[in-house]
Amino acid sequence: MSNRTHEFRDPIHSFIKLDTEERALVNSRPFQRLRYIHQLALSYLVYPGATHRRFEHSLGVMDVSSRIYDVVTDPENLYHDSIRELVPRRSSTYEWSYWRRVLRMAALCHDTGHLPFSHAAEAALLPNGTHHEHLSKYIILSDEMKPVFSQLKIKPEDVAKIAVGPKYCEENFSDWESILYEMIGGNVFGADRIDFLLRDSYHSGVAYGRFDHNRLIETMRILPREDQETQEPELGITRGGLQAAESLLWARYFIYTQLYFHPIRRIYDIHLKEFLEKWLDGGHFSTDLEHHLRMTDNEVMSAINLASVTAASSAHDAACRITERNHFRVLYEVNPNDQKINLSSVQLVFEAAKQEFGDEAVRRDSYASPPASEDFPVRLRDGMIASSLTMSKTFSDGQGPAFQVDSVFVSPDGKEKAKKWLDAKKSIIIGEGA
Amino acid sequence: MPEFNDASLILALTEKLRENQSWAGETHLQKAMYVLNRVLGVQIPFDFVLYKHGPFSFDLRDEIGWMRSSGFLEWEVRSNYYGPSLKPGQLSSILKKQFPDQPARHSNEIDFVATRFAGKNVASLERLTTAIYVMFDEHTPSIERTARIHSLKPHISIPEADAALREADGLVQAAKIRFGRAAHA
Repeated sequence: MSNRTHEFRDPIHSFIKLDTEERALVNSRPFQRLRYIHQLALSYLVYPGATHRRFEHSLGVMDVSSRIYDVVTDPENLYHDSIRELVPRRSSTYEWSYWRRVLRMAALCHDTGHLPFSHAAEAALLPNGTHHEHLSKYIILSDEMKPVFSQLKIKPEDVAKIAVGPKYCEENFSDWESILYEMIGGNVFGADRIDFLLRDSYHSGVAYGRFDHNRLIETMRILPREDQETQEPELGITRGGLQAAESLLWARYFIYTQLYFHPIRRIYDIHLKEFLEKWLDGGHFSTDLEHHLRMTDNEVMSAINLASVTAASSAHDAACRITERNHFRVLYEVNPNDQKINLSSVQLVFEAAKQEFGDEAVRRDSYASPPASEDFPVRLRDGMIASSLTMSKTFSDGQGPAFQVDSVFVSPDGKEKAKKWLDAKKSIIIGEGA
Repeated sequence: MPEFNDASLILALTEKLRENQSWAGETHLQKAMYVLNRVLGVQIPFDFVLYKHGPFSFDLRDEIGWMRSSGFLEWEVRSNYYGPSLKPGQLSSILKKQFPDQPARHSNEIDFVATRFAGKNVASLERLTTAIYVMFDEHTPSIERTARIHSLKPHISIPEADAALREADGLVQAAKIRFGRAAHA
């Protein structure tokens, strides 16, 4: 008799297990494509170890989300009548198992819509209003995936909802569906966040990204927001998990500042976007699923290499910036002192630099990351529920981590001249707009 | 990247909510922005879906987070259990000074919402705005609205849903009288 349980060795979670039906989804074309999508785009040009792919991340999200599910649906962890009514009982095996499988498959599929090189410049490279989550949803609902979900005995519509969440799924979510979505995509401690922080930290060598995720998962609970005088359920933790949650917040801060917002990594995203705008038909990726499934980092990297040795190519300059590591350099970054004079200081420097050195010699990188919502319910030892913000100075003082970048870059050839120019003119440029 | 003009409007609403003795937590701000847009027609760049405590905007959540990290808003913990309030941050006066247009243009609408939100807790805002959502976003026929609210939010009882619909109707009528319009009525 053949083996029904299969394992992946994984550097973060040791062994990730799945059954034969689940393995069919892993073997599907949309999921296999993720082997060829770098998790951190061109970050490996700065952090050589950061060559991991969406494939192993998605397996990790599946593993973590099912661990969360098992903890929060454990009858011993259901403290309130309203929550007991919400959560399927383990004794009614079908419903409990059905949603567990939906959750695991949604976790596997949540990133299938990613463009080559993941997030890099997604907004500019897809038609207006389309996001990779929409493509993930189309893939899950596609004819190609129907036999897989049929074999798994789950509805693709349920998987799509839990994979992409309420923001991108134009349907109302029940309380239970909202909780399932939070287990994967929750802004505080969803499985997606837990896995990418640990995995990106491991591969990049940015060690601050680690935290005690095992403790965090074991203390997760579904709790009514009694602290806000409502019974609406949310994913929260018991008091004992507070320090693990705090350490996740700090890990996020460190890894954003050290890795995701590294200025050279950021400028490579811009050079890559410029290459793609010139190389792609119409300057956009197609949202046709067949095109999407055929397009990976490999196709894009081949095109970059070709354009870099083809002087006549319109994408030649952008390609060489990447292959020859001849990226633009930081001229000016947002800072509180200049902002006190003029909140639009970066925009003013950008406009003035373009006027002085020409549009082609100047770039701006302006991005604010969605912050962690630090407000979640915490169950105290006496059974009361409080907001995390009242329980922890780390959360309530959370002014600190500024998850934004706003910088002006200039061509490497003109960097020194531009710096001298800015030193001489900055006060006039910023002052003029005040 | 968020816009300073939108941030200035959110800051003005936060201040006005506090002036009117609202707890002014993040949920209060979310629901007040929703009413400002749906009932009074103030244009804002935030989409709302039914999620946490009724209509909820992920974009607005991100905007509020950005405003905190930028020093325009900050948390204020006022109770050992109840969630925190939002208050103007260290750089709020600079934002107000440099971007005064939006708050000035919509000061009457901000007043209207802040006055009516005074003293309301999260549970009552959840009921009221879910009722408005059922009326204006879903266009549910009148006769089905009570049951619809209860099915969307099972912890809102049928009598509570009925009362919320009456309150929402009253709010829309008051907006019509005050401004001669109600955005989606």
